[in-house]
Amino acid sequence: MGPSVDLSGLRRAWLVAGREARADTRHPDGIVAAITFMAVLILLESIVVGPQIARDTAVAPALYWIALLFAAIVTTTRSFDRELEDDALDGVIALPGGRDALYAGKLVALGGTLGLVALVGGLLEIVFLDLGIALPGHLVVATIVGVAALPPIVVLDVALTVRLRARAALVPVLALPVLMPQLVAATNAAGAALAGDAMGASAWSALLFAIALVYAVLGLTIVPTAIE
Amino acid sequence: MTTTAFPSVLGVRIRPVLGLASVTGALIATFMALVWAPPDAVQGEVQRVMYVHVPAAWTAYLAFIIVFLASVGWLWSKRPAFDAVAVASAEIGVLFTGIALVAGSIWAKPTWGVWWTWEPRLITTAVMFVMYVGYLLLRSLSTDLEGRATRAAVIGIVAVVNVPIVHLSVTWMNALHQLPSVLRPGGPALDGRMLATLVASVLAFTILYAWMLATRVEIETARQERVIAARGR
Repeated sequence: MGPSVDLSGLRRAWLVAGREARADTRHPDGIVAAITFMAVLILLESIVVGPQIARDTAVAPALYWIALLFAAIVTTTRSFDRELEDDALDGVIALPGGRDALYAGKLVALGGTLGLVALVGGLLEIVFLDLGIALPGHLVVATIVGVAALPPIVVLDVALTVRLRARAALVPVLALPVLMPQLVAATNAAGAALAGDAMGASAWSALLFAIALVYAVLGLTIVPTAIE
Repeated sequence: MTTTAFPSVLGVRIRPVLGLASVTGALIATFMALVWAPPDAVQGEVQRVMYVHVPAAWTAYLAFIIVFLASVGWLWSKRPAFDAVAVASAEIGVLFTGIALVAGSIWAKPTWGVWWTWEPRLITTAVMFVMYVGYLLLRSLSTDLEGRATRAAVIGIVAVVNVPIVHLSVTWMNALHQLPSVLRPGGPALDGRMLATLVASVLAFTILYAWMLATRVEIETARQERVIAARGR
C-alpha cells in the first residue's frame, strides 16, 4: 500500500486493526502475557484480601477490573513496542491519514484483544472464587461496554508516550486517574449483575457506554495530531 | 517555531500592577476574613478556613480551564505563547488544588472529626490533583519543545473533564461535603458579610493567580527562547 492509494478513514483504520490481529495470531505472546498477567493479579489480589472477602459481589468485580486495566496497559504497550521494533510506526504515520488510522485501528484491535483477555480472565475468576452470577446477560453487557471504555484512554496515553524513555512510569500515572470513573462504573455494573440488581447493572452500563463514547470521540479528534 | 511578543507585553506592562494588586487584595481579604466577617453560628471560628479553601478551589478550576484553552490554542496554532500559558497555569493550578486539599483537611478535622474521608468531592479533587501532577510529569520527562507541548496539550484537554466532575460531584452524589454555597439554584446561602468576604477572597486569589501566571509565563518564554536560540546555533 503506497501513499497514493486512496482509502477511506474507516478502511485505513480497519487495515491497521487487521494487521494487528494478524500479528497477534502469528505471535500471540502479547495476548498470552496479558492473560497470564491478569490471572496472576487476580490470584494475588484474592490471596491478599482473603478468598472470603474476594468472593463478595462488591469486591470480586473490583479485583477483576483492576487486573483487566493493568492487562490493557501491558497489551497496548506491547502493541506499540512491536511497531517500534519493526519501524512500522513511522511507515503508518507517513501515510495520508495514517495517524487517525493508527489511533482508530489500535482502538479496534485492543478492544478485540481485551475482549479475549476479559473472557479468559473472567472465567478464571469465576472458577477461582466460585462466583455465582445472578444476571449473566447483564454481566456480559457490562463486560462488553467496560472493555470498550478502556482502550480510548490507554491507547491515548501509550501513543503520547511511545517515544519517551520513562513511558513505563508515565503510562500508569497518566491513565489510571482518567480511568477511575470507568473502573468505578464497570465494577458497580458487574457487581450489580452478580448480585441480581438489573436496574443498577443497566444504569452503570449505560454510564460506561457514555464515557466510552465521549473519550473515543475526544481521542479521535485530538490524539492523532500528537502521535509522532 | 517562533516566539511571540504577547508574553513579554504581559510581563513588562501588567505584571507590576498585578503584583501590587495581589498584595492589596490579600491584605483586604485577610482583614475581612479574620476580623470583619462574623464567625459561623454552628462551626464557630474554624469556618474562616472557608475563605482560603473555597477561593483556592475556584482558582484551581480557573487555572485548569486556562490550561484547556491554551492547549487548544497550541494544537490550533502551534504558537509557543500558548504552551507557556498552559504550563504556567497547570503549575499554579496544582499548587492551588494542593492548598484547597490541605485547607479542606484542616477544616474537616474539627467539623467532621477526620482529616480525610472517602467522599465524592474529596476523591474527585484528589484525582484532579494527581492527573495534573501527571501532566507536569509528562512535560518534565519530554525534552523536545514541540513534542512536549503537543503531548501535554492532549492531556490538558482530556484532564479538564475533571473540573465539572469535581464541582458537581456534591450534587450528583449526596455525601458528607456540603452543597455549593454560592453557585446554587435559588441564590447564595450565606450571610451577607460572609458572602462579601468570600467574594473578596476569590477576587484576591484570582488576582494572585493572574500575577503568578504572568510571572511564570515570562520565565517560560525566556526558557523557550533559550532553547530555540541553542537549536539555531
